[in-house]
Amino acid sequence: MDTETKETEFAARMKSAIEPARGLDDRELRNAFTARLKQVAARPDVVPIEFDGRRIEMRRGGTLLGAAMKNGVRLMHVCGARTLCATCRVVVESGEDNLTPMRGTEKFSLRWHLSVSPRTRLACQARVNGPVEVESVFPLCGELPNR
Amino acid sequence: MKVLDPPPTSEADLIARLKAGDEEAAHEFFDRYAARIRRFIANSLGAASAEAEDVLQETFIALADALPFFRGDSSLFTFACAIAHRKVLSLIRTNARRANLMRTAPVAETAAPRETGANREFNRALGEIRPEYREVLILKYVEEIRVSEIARILRLGEHAVESRLARARKALRKSLKEE
Repeated sequence: MDTETKETEFAARMKSAIEPARGLDDRELRNAFTARLKQVAARPDVVPIEFDGRRIEMRRGGTLLGAAMKNGVRLMHVCGARTLCATCRVVVESGEDNLTPMRGTEKFSLRWHLSVSPRTRLACQARVNGPVEVESVFPLCGELPNR
Repeated sequence: MKVLDPPPTSEADLIARLKAGDEEAAHEFFDRYAARIRRFIANSLGAASAEAEDVLQETFIALADALPFFRGDSSLFTFACAIAHRKVLSLIRTNARRANLMRTAPVAETAAPRETGANREFNRALGEIRPEYREVLILKYVEEIRVSEIARILRLGEHAVESRLARARKALRKSLKEE
């Protein structure tokens, strides 16, 4: 049997084994989704982001570090956001295209700290234009009260 | 006179209305894709149904957050699957961490076989293979998504997707004891 026939047969078996997608009648979820979408679309300058699994909101164009601190996520930044220590570095789980491109100083710092990867950013340098999900590399320094 | 249904909205139009936060568009998006997204999540998790519902909820809230910022560089379903994929991964990681802490076997790794007669054996085999293999097979053969789009969802190169698919098919055949 040639590869194409085998592939077609395999696809047919998979399709027949998996139950077809039936309509989802979950009004609660549909309404929650609609309300949330309306809320987010109504405020284009406010960007929802996820920081270490916590959903927070920030001003579009602000840095990840600023957003974290304002929302009570105490992210380490030993050098005071001057790209020297790289202790504020985060791994971008999704939405890396929504962050401003990396500049020379940030690249240099990450290279110095052996952390160069397209998904690693310094929270003090990366500015947000859209939703992102990030995880801090270093442990947080306790909890800050929400301001 | 027979009343005709309105023609389905084009995807570009739907995206534009979603970005504006249009209620009708949100309902249309939900009706068009929710069932497929749920099927993708349930199959990726190996039919751990209680957790699939939680992941579905999280996926839709994340989608509502992300859709107004969607740039349209992939199809809407690919975009939704990418978010669902990350939520599934995050749940698997959390379960693995929890299992590690509790020093027990990972939770919800294998599927409960579905009672679908002749397909039961196939479903059992599908539930036994690794979640990343199951996921790529579902995307390719059930959702019929192109390899380039799967690469976007899984954040892999196209070659990596092709080789994962080959390994997944092999694993499934092995599990079916066809090899």
